[in-house]
Amino acid sequence: MAVRPKNLQEARDRSRNNAELAWWVFMRVSGLFLVFLVFAHVFVNNILINVATVDYNYVATRLAKPGVKVFDTFLLGLAMLHGVNGLRVVIGDNIRRPGLRFWVQVVLIVVSVGIFVAGVMTLWAFSYREMGDAIRDLTSGH
Amino acid sequence: MYRGREGQWAYFLHRITGVALVLYLLLHVFDISLVMYGPDGPFNAFLMFYHQWPFRIGLVMVIAAVVYHALNGLRIILLDFTTWGIRYQRVMWYTVLGVTTVIGVPVLVKILPEIFGGA
Repeated sequence: MAVRPKNLQEARDRSRNNAELAWWVFMRVSGLFLVFLVFAHVFVNNILINVATVDYNYVATRLAKPGVKVFDTFLLGLAMLHGVNGLRVVIGDNIRRPGLRFWVQVVLIVVSVGIFVAGVMTLWAFSYREMGDAIRDLTSGH
Repeated sequence: MYRGREGQWAYFLHRITGVALVLYLLLHVFDISLVMYGPDGPFNAFLMFYHQWPFRIGLVMVIAAVVYHALNGLRIILLDFTTWGIRYQRVMWYTVLGVTTVIGVPVLVKILPEIFGGA
């Protein structure tokens, strides 16, 4: 894509397929939501507190709250899709060799899916109160 | 390099902040997921490492990038979905820079003393 489409009609006309058009729309819709989600996230963790006081206790207490789990799930999902798709487009625009471009994008997607899964597990798979003991049991070999 | 006018700089800054933010996002989600190893795991050691002042300056720059990218993103939405957006793209970009500064200065006033011990 040499020149960026300037509006919805141009994006529709230029899209090679519906997927790229859907991503174009998604970037704008998700971006609008992310403005509020990310500003709230930054405000709570950097302005309301001194971020240097963040430690295991703070994070475990925060992530144990159902409201934070739901909020952070939307934040994680939208931010990962928006960010990784953005980087995919930047790679597509800047790496000229098709073979290299393809493999860089494959590595990006694989790494991102792995980190996204870790993020979802962090939010939903653990009870932070009992986890210290569970981890100790797991690693003590019995 | 092509030296365009405001639109070119708006585009360039949007890209560079976007790439920086997604790289930060991947690192940040990876870091936070280390809480899964429990209170005796590597989580606290990682955080202490990132609480050193060079990384805290980096975090201030991440916040600045968030504010610019968010506000310029709103500008892009107006350009793409309104009939009048393109006509005002230049003044909207200067508005984005202005509001970024207006938000950024109090953030700096709040956070810089925390980093350098003035508070």
